[in-house]
Amino acid sequence: MAANVGIVGIGHTIFGNSSEYDLSDVLAYAATDALQDAGYLEKRKEIDQLVVGNMASGLFCHQSAVASSVISRMDMEPVPAELVENGPASGASAVKIGYMAVASGLADVVLVVAGEVMRKVTGWLATDYVATMLHTEAEYNMGLTLPAFGGMFTRMYMEKYGLTERDLALLAVKNHDNGAKNKYAHIQLPCTIEAIADGPEADVVNTYVAEPLRMYSTCPVSDGAAALLLVNMDSPRAQEFKKKPVRIAGVASATDTHCVHNRKDPLKLEAVRIAAEKAYKMAGLSPKDISFAELHDAFSILELAISEEVGFFERGKSFLAVRNGETEINGRLPINTSGGLKSKGHPVGGTGVSQVVELVRQLRGEAEEGRQVKEPKYGMSVNFGGFGNNIVSVICARD
Amino acid sequence: MIDFSVYNATAPTIQGYKCQNCGSIHYPAPMICSKCSKRRDPVTGKGWETFDLEGPCELLTWTRAWNLPEGYSRKYLLFGIVQFENGLRASGQLEVENPESGMKLVAEVEESDERPGDPVSIFVFREK
Ligand SMILES: [Zn+2]
Repeated sequence: MAANVGIVGIGHTIFGNSSEYDLSDVLAYAATDALQDAGYLEKRKEIDQLVVGNMASGLFCHQSAVASSVISRMDMEPVPAELVENGPASGASAVKIGYMAVASGLADVVLVVAGEVMRKVTGWLATDYVATMLHTEAEYNMGLTLPAFGGMFTRMYMEKYGLTERDLALLAVKNHDNGAKNKYAHIQLPCTIEAIADGPEADVVNTYVAEPLRMYSTCPVSDGAAALLLVNMDSPRAQEFKKKPVRIAGVASATDTHCVHNRKDPLKLEAVRIAAEKAYKMAGLSPKDISFAELHDAFSILELAISEEVGFFERGKSFLAVRNGETEINGRLPINTSGGLKSKGHPVGGTGVSQVVELVRQLRGEAEEGRQVKEPKYGMSVNFGGFGNNIVSVICARD
Repeated sequence: MIDFSVYNATAPTIQGYKCQNCGSIHYPAPMICSKCSKRRDPVTGKGWETFDLEGPCELLTWTRAWNLPEGYSRKYLLFGIVQFENGLRASGQLEVENPESGMKLVAEVEESDERPGDPVSIFVFREK
């Protein structure tokens, strides 16, 4: 039986450029926000465990042992602290490990914080560092990058299902609309379909990154962090917090082949399907129960492919739903209400926690005006590690 | 016991691997056969054959990537995923004027020294 683990505090930095700041301070800022939100700042030394999610502080910041550093900056000694790394799914993995700590009985109150500071280095170096998650001999050495895989995946999908570049641009318009209203988003600017697809200047404004993927179908390089305070809802300590908990109804992950070319059907994201199925089963839910979702759109194509793998839409049909506005804020199933990675930004190791922060904001009814989903009951996130080879899904519930 | 101190000295790059226990072929090198669970000793190679993975293949998908990582001087590079006649697939660079999914290509293994550090073996896919 699943444990009752609730989220009683959330924190989030404004995503964007924090390159002048120390990674530990960025993480500590979001974590402190979460403690304040929960009314637990003064009791922080009573926390049983800190779990930090980060992908590559060693590369981006030349810094190691980040969890210990965060503890010290927050004056939280002697609270135990460890780091969790799972590529761009490090954040959701940190949530999963935090959940496991509570469910195991080892901890009643767990602080989870995840983030990345990527902009201390050039964009070229950032592209290189992110690409180190690929298979060294069979992918990375070839010069392949994550956007290159995004481009090749997009082309396969287009040729099989008839998706167009304009469909991808519609996703950017939707997500920028949401992100423009999100106080934490990296790019708080709406964009129009004229500017990025239909107008005469569109080719210049929206240049190719990895054909047929364009700039507006690719997330920015962001700095930032997000945090959650987890509590065992069955413990007497659950009464110590200011806010009513949002329950983690399901959390699950799955893996797939490291090399994309080794997948029987390279268009199928098996790990997404399996992680989602496990999360639904744990929560006792099915895709139709989900009120809204945060899906890892590092490349816009992934929002579509993931939405199909988790069972929201039939394979090859999700972009038709986007054309119909079904995934807009007031649509049947709002997707990426935060602006997604495209507009909210993608500090790689931090994204998974940021997605769950959005689930909590929506379920509490605390999202900004114009992007609050109407009375949501269940929110789902999918955090994508590697090019689909390590996926973590979280389902949160408003009880 | 495997002596990994000599692993780098003898580990070949970019080759196909055949499990002699069940006959299945693999790329890149596995440590355990996905079909029969036979282990591969990367130092002695005992129980496994290697073969050149080059020659005719079909292009499954491709991209022209404009934002290359640090160390690359070219404006863009083409990349593709191909399938060989034996069913194995590989990712690599593409040197084709007008790429199209489904086109017949030839794969060759070459040395690339674009990145800082030692040169590495890469796949290049071209038209016949
Ligand atoms: Zn075998």
